[in-house]
Amino acid sequence: MDLPGPFPVGRYARKLQEELRRRARVLLVGEVTGISRSKVQAYFELRDAEGAVPCAIWLDDLEKAGLPEGGLRDGAEVVIAGGPDYYPGGGQASPSFSFRATHVRLAGEGDLLARLEALRGQLRREGLFELQKQLARPRLPKTIGVVTAESGAARRDLLAGLGRRGWAGTVVWAFAPVQDRRAAPAIAAAIQELAATPAVEAIVVARGGGSLADLWAFCDETLCRTVAMLRVPVISAVGHERDSTLIDDVAAVACSTPTHAAEAAVPLDCVAARGALERSAEALRRAGEGAVGNRSRHLVALARGPARALRRERVALNQKTREIRAASERGLAERRTFQHRIAAVVLGRAARRAAGAEADSRREALRRAEVAFRAHDPERTLERGYALAEDGEGEPVTSAAAAVAAGRVKLRFADGRVGAKIDRHGESDERDA
Amino acid sequence: MSETPESYEAAVERLEQIIDRLDSGQAGLRETLELCREGRELVTYCSAELDAVSEGLEELRLDELAAKLEATPTDS
Repeated sequence: MDLPGPFPVGRYARKLQEELRRRARVLLVGEVTGISRSKVQAYFELRDAEGAVPCAIWLDDLEKAGLPEGGLRDGAEVVIAGGPDYYPGGGQASPSFSFRATHVRLAGEGDLLARLEALRGQLRREGLFELQKQLARPRLPKTIGVVTAESGAARRDLLAGLGRRGWAGTVVWAFAPVQDRRAAPAIAAAIQELAATPAVEAIVVARGGGSLADLWAFCDETLCRTVAMLRVPVISAVGHERDSTLIDDVAAVACSTPTHAAEAAVPLDCVAARGALERSAEALRRAGEGAVGNRSRHLVALARGPARALRRERVALNQKTREIRAASERGLAERRTFQHRIAAVVLGRAARRAAGAEADSRREALRRAEVAFRAHDPERTLERGYALAEDGEGEPVTSAAAAVAAGRVKLRFADGRVGAKIDRHGESDERDA
Repeated sequence: MSETPESYEAAVERLEQIIDRLDSGQAGLRETLELCREGRELVTYCSAELDAVSEGLEELRLDELAAKLEATPTDS
């Protein structure tokens, strides 16, 4: 191999140390883990989700940093100043790499916010804020899971909120530590277990308020990526309104208090829903009855319609008939009058015609008729000695039976009338003779 | 019930559609009676769903629930 060397390793190790020590001094921020101490130094790892570096600090420097008692402990978020260093080891001592811290302070709100913003930007760019928000949330879940501290106001507030909804389903509690960064893996595990439980329809993650450092577990990148990928909606209620943790960004819904989280987990106000349902049932009942009732009334009206129409027509028809009869009677009378008038005119004309040439022969015929008439005149018969029997009314009695029935008759002679009584014996005598 | 609703919200949504249609007065007699029948079924379903979360809060711990689920034979 065409490479420089071979060099003695000890010389190379010292050169490496020199090169690392020449690197720029920087500030690092991260969580302290695996702290240990020797007589002169403190060792720990500074770590975040992406990686870690082994660190060492002289106890003198640590003392000068003026941390509060127990400030440098596992889980603490700290900012350290320093640069890389390499210990080449010796005849017996092992070599080691470390970041040589010369100063340390606890991470302040500003440091955490800066880290939070960087992480938030990254997760947003990856689209992880939208996944949970696209999930359908049941309005009336029967079972909800809750991740919270076993002892804490959040648990009580959540139950009170559910009670106000009139909801009394099943709550599955997954208790987990909720303080500092070390809590994040336990919280993530609890959420995952709840999400894997088939009955659980929504998960609430609740914790009371605190400093950003207190709530730092809920900004954990691994936890937040876990939540973003779940298929069960997660409702976060971490801290108070002004606190903004990363889990709020990735969750389906972010609430300012556990009470609000209860309302988000059970969107339906069960008491109001029951009232609305009763109104719906009533509306259906009315619609059903109305549909049949109104239509049957309409049908009855329709059924009555023809009879009424017939009656109406019959009345109209009778009226017409009367009018026509009256009109025709008037017409007949008028026609009759008219015909009489015509007949009179015709007869008049005939009479006037007769009065002309036929007058003499008619006069002669008239005279003959008068002679014939006089020959049959009863008065003439009476003049010849006959008598006419008349009843009380002056009507002629023309048979013996009628005379017997009348009892009394008047005998009319040419010179006057005399009363006569009918003798029934005379009748029998005559019969006998 | 002819078809179980997908969810409470789906049932309520359909119920609201039905009542809107009935209120419009445009449904004929046959449709009205059909809608009333479907609506009554939905009311029954929703009422049962509400009953299911009204009979008293049950609190379980996750580990207890896991044990309970393990004790219950699965359908599949």
